[in-house]
Amino acid sequence: MTILLLFMILALGCFALLSRDLLHSVIALSALSMLSALMFTILRAPDVAITEAAVGAGVSTIIFVWAIRHTRRRSKD
Amino acid sequence: MKRTLFIIKITFTLLVLALAIFPVILSSHPWPEASRDYLYEHALTDTGAVNTVSSIYLGYRAMDTLGETLVLLVSITGTMGILINLGRESEEEEAVSFSLAPEKRPTNAQRTHLLEVVSSKLGPVVLLFGFYVMLYGHISPGGGFQGGVIVASAIVFLALGTETQTKLTNTNVLGRIEALSFLVLIVAATSGVFFESGFFGNPIKSGSSLSANFIILLNIIIGLKVGTSIAVMCIAMMGGRRGH
Amino acid sequence: MVIERILIFLLALIGFTAIVGAKNIIKKVFGLNILNAAVVLLYILEGSRIGDQAPILGKGVTNMVDPVPQALMLTAIVIGVCVTALALALAVRLYKATGSLEIDTINERLRSEH
Repeated sequence: MTILLLFMILALGCFALLSRDLLHSVIALSALSMLSALMFTILRAPDVAITEAAVGAGVSTIIFVWAIRHTRRRSKD
Repeated sequence: MKRTLFIIKITFTLLVLALAIFPVILSSHPWPEASRDYLYEHALTDTGAVNTVSSIYLGYRAMDTLGETLVLLVSITGTMGILINLGRESEEEEAVSFSLAPEKRPTNAQRTHLLEVVSSKLGPVVLLFGFYVMLYGHISPGGGFQGGVIVASAIVFLALGTETQTKLTNTNVLGRIEALSFLVLIVAATSGVFFESGFFGNPIKSGSSLSANFIILLNIIIGLKVGTSIAVMCIAMMGGRRGH
Repeated sequence: MVIERILIFLLALIGFTAIVGAKNIIKKVFGLNILNAAVVLLYILEGSRIGDQAPILGKGVTNMVDPVPQALMLTAIVIGVCVTALALALAVRLYKATGSLEIDTINERLRSEH
């Protein structure tokens, strides 16, 4: 189960870095945080799971969306 | 030509990094168990917390928590300092407080009221859950940081609603709560010195039935500090200035 | 066992490549975030090998997981989000000063202003 989750995390990370639309990458990063939180629950670390879910899927996404809104949404590479 | 040089540089960096990290993957040294056994026997009597992770970062190693709170304070102060001056053209304009009230938000045409109605109803529930996670940090998974971030999300929900523009979502009030809670944290840390437990030590005698109260107090202080500072940063990022 | 370590190592390598090789500043910050996630995953994975129950003392808990890496990673996650916030604020400030997000263009424009 952890191996499957790690493959999905790897795929989301690659997608976040190769996409030209930065908003898609931000949503992929948020999904990466959520899958990490699931993996922490499986590995018996409930404190870290709560922190990663609240911080990664909440605060970090708000900050990224703010940064994209005040600059450009498309990137050239 | 420039492009191939660039790719060669990146590959070379990656190879050096891989060479440095590779021994970690191939090592089969067993993970030491001494700390787990010690904490299994002594965590409850030394600090009064059933959650061993809480007993580490609020009991045995509380200095790290003080350092982390300081890093949070400095970085959010820096971010707010850059944020406030982003739209300023000259030195005479004041940096004003932020607000997410619907009539002051930068609006586009054709909005619905779905976001405001739903989030103002969800806000108090999430706030209650955040305080629960904060206060029960020594018995179940949770604690100051986790509860603080959940309280920050709840304050953002309340600030987006129409009927709940109260003092709780006013950035001046939130800023004052943050500064006050950092002061109370320093006072609580130095109180251990007067009760012969060292800096950041538990002033109540360990082993008595009240010794978990110090951990509850630290959880509340840290939760309030983290929650209000992240809420101020998020409201400033999402809202408009007063007067725009 | 070894497969999981190799996958986390690949994730760290991807994050590091993004920091060094991406041309857009915001993609560099993405890479910083991914590298942070990889390191946290590695610590928690290694700490979970010696037991099979969550580290909360209770009635039936006999074989709990090592709680020390979890306490370290709590601090690491919070500091990671602080660094990301400050890096993004600086990136937006650079955009307002030069008008572009690619580092080559930023270099040229900053050099030509002095």
